Amino acid sequence: MLIDNILNYFYSGLNSSNLLVSILFIAIYAILISIMISVFAYVFGWVERKMIAKVQRRHGPNRVGKWGLLQNLADLVKLITKEKIIPEDADPLLLNLAPILLVGVVTFIILLMPFSSYLQATNLGLGLLIIFVILGFTPILLFITGYATGGKFAELGAQRSVLMLISYEIPMIIVVATVGIAAGSYNLTSIMNMQSGLFNAFLMPIGFFIFFVVMLAELERPPFDLREADSELIAGWLTDVSAPYYAVALMLDYTRMFMGSLLIAILFFGGWSGPILPGILWLVIKAFVISLFIILVRVAVVRMRVDKILKTGWMYLLPLSIVNLLLTLIIVLK
Amino acid sequence: MAITRINIGPVHPSTHGVARLVVDLDGDTIVKVEPHIGYLHRGVEKLVENRIYMQSPPYMEKIDYVAPMAVDELYVATVEKALNVDVSEKASYARIILLELQRIASHLFFIGSVTNDLGQSFTGFMWGFMDRDKVLRLLENATGQRMFYVNMRLGGINREFPKDFEYETKEFLDYFEKRLKDYENFIEKNPIFIQRMKGVGILNLDDAINLGVTGHVLRASGVKYDVRKNNPYYKYSELNFHPKILSDGDNLSRFRIRVMEIRESIRLIRDSFYKMESADGSMVGMPVKLFSPKPTNKISIVNRELPRGEGLMYMVADDKKPYRLSMRAPTFINLAALNKIAKGHKLADLFSIFGTLDMVMADVDR
Repeated sequence: MLIDNILNYFYSGLNSSNLLVSILFIAIYAILISIMISVFAYVFGWVERKMIAKVQRRHGPNRVGKWGLLQNLADLVKLITKEKIIPEDADPLLLNLAPILLVGVVTFIILLMPFSSYLQATNLGLGLLIIFVILGFTPILLFITGYATGGKFAELGAQRSVLMLISYEIPMIIVVATVGIAAGSYNLTSIMNMQSGLFNAFLMPIGFFIFFVVMLAELERPPFDLREADSELIAGWLTDVSAPYYAVALMLDYTRMFMGSLLIAILFFGGWSGPILPGILWLVIKAFVISLFIILVRVAVVRMRVDKILKTGWMYLLPLSIVNLLLTLIIVLK
Repeated sequence: MAITRINIGPVHPSTHGVARLVVDLDGDTIVKVEPHIGYLHRGVEKLVENRIYMQSPPYMEKIDYVAPMAVDELYVATVEKALNVDVSEKASYARIILLELQRIASHLFFIGSVTNDLGQSFTGFMWGFMDRDKVLRLLENATGQRMFYVNMRLGGINREFPKDFEYETKEFLDYFEKRLKDYENFIEKNPIFIQRMKGVGILNLDDAINLGVTGHVLRASGVKYDVRKNNPYYKYSELNFHPKILSDGDNLSRFRIRVMEIRESIRLIRDSFYKMESADGSMVGMPVKLFSPKPTNKISIVNRELPRGEGLMYMVADDKKPYRLSMRAPTFINLAALNKIAKGHKLADLFSIFGTLDMVMADVDR
């Protein structure tokens, strides 16, 4: 009851008619969200290492803290305290700005997501579209990180990320539009409410499959980690920069994974709907499980080549997404 | 589009040591690859000239650190030929068993490193190394050392096999045959893996012969040439052995050949254990002494099927030390095929090609 009251108060603050109060509450909410993202990124840094170690029959981190829980903290401290070197050819402004903007994009998108019926910075009618418009900035920012360091490996990585953008963006938007059509709204809350009977993942399995694959590409998780392909480009844009950037990049990877998992949970697994537990927990649990799957993909696959991704995107994902659209139309409009 | 020249290595995650490749790229497509070698040159062939014959095996083992015993055996066999030392029947089978185990260990390293070069975040690598470690334990049991064995003696090996060695080896082979199916299901049948490997890095038959490549690279291009069959040494002629060939000449063929060869090695080890029971002689060779027999052959040439291709040693013998020694290192010749194969492919494929050629830079540079 107390929690409900607090949430209620918070909600009224977020949607206050007074602009200043509203901004203040949104700022507090943004800070809370950032903390949550950081915690998630930290936990998942550990979970990924442990899980992959289990599949590969290793132990994983097990020295710092109980079960190696503090290993990532130790790594973070080490990386941050290292000397910050910016290469001669680099553009320091862009190099510093791009990761910050990327964090901004992720935070902004998560702010727009409804964590429960009360917890949402603002309930926009076209929330879904706005999220994907903002998400469209990511590849451009990633491209900037590639050029900012001035290294050739980074540049190659940047070129690849643009090629990838061409191949997966269109199927992604078609699938998102399909979800919107099925719900009859681009409002995230209505999309979640629509799935109270049947999750979208079961309503349109093809669409879910495409979106999952596309999200792997969007998040640059294997097999689509071309920009930082470690066995080819050493570390992509991180090859020539010093450790603090690496720390930021690592955190960024996990925050983006959290964002992607939340998106999949909202669009295809009914968001915060679920029995007994409060909605916010359900959403985070679902995102957690989806993240586990995203990690598991990494263990099994080898990296795809850039031309094959292009071919997959245009030859398979695009036609499939249109088939998905038609099938959904038939089911919804029957 | 302008041609970008990038420098890969000598320090790079997938150059298998210290290869340096200067690559001309048109966008992401390779125009030219120029391997620069010599970063791991130790002058082993010269070092040997200042040491008595049986002082050199430890140096030989470092030529190919993935399959040390194979090179060691090649050297000792050359010395044996120069000094005219006979290897008993039992020692021959013992050497075959150890060498084939070493071949399995080396091929497992290959499987792991190829998947890693393709970007599989270490799963295949860890699996390969885990099973490789089991082989190394067997070899440790037999020879007394885990990695650099120095167990070849003139006319045999350093000691009798321990009592449990045969049982343990057979137990491992049973386990490993099942395990190979896991590798096939997990790696070889993975659609993305096939997509990345099939039709990539084709070396056709004529080029393969003209470039002088050997080993699995040659056999993957469709030439039935294996020293163990064409110029049999020890008791390979008495064992039921068929070299495996495939005709595509691409990355996938080179990978598949390796897996087939592991199966063949398993069979050879089993056969050898069976035949060794009725073999005569002792498997223990002469102890290492300051005074070895005087060489009777001035010039001796020996070739062997090393895990990475045909190795050949040419030695001019002197009284106590080799006067000159020269080695045909298999990977040095195979590396020459890189530019031919990689031209026109994407940068990402360069590393899978480099990986399937199975480079060990120490072997290239010597």
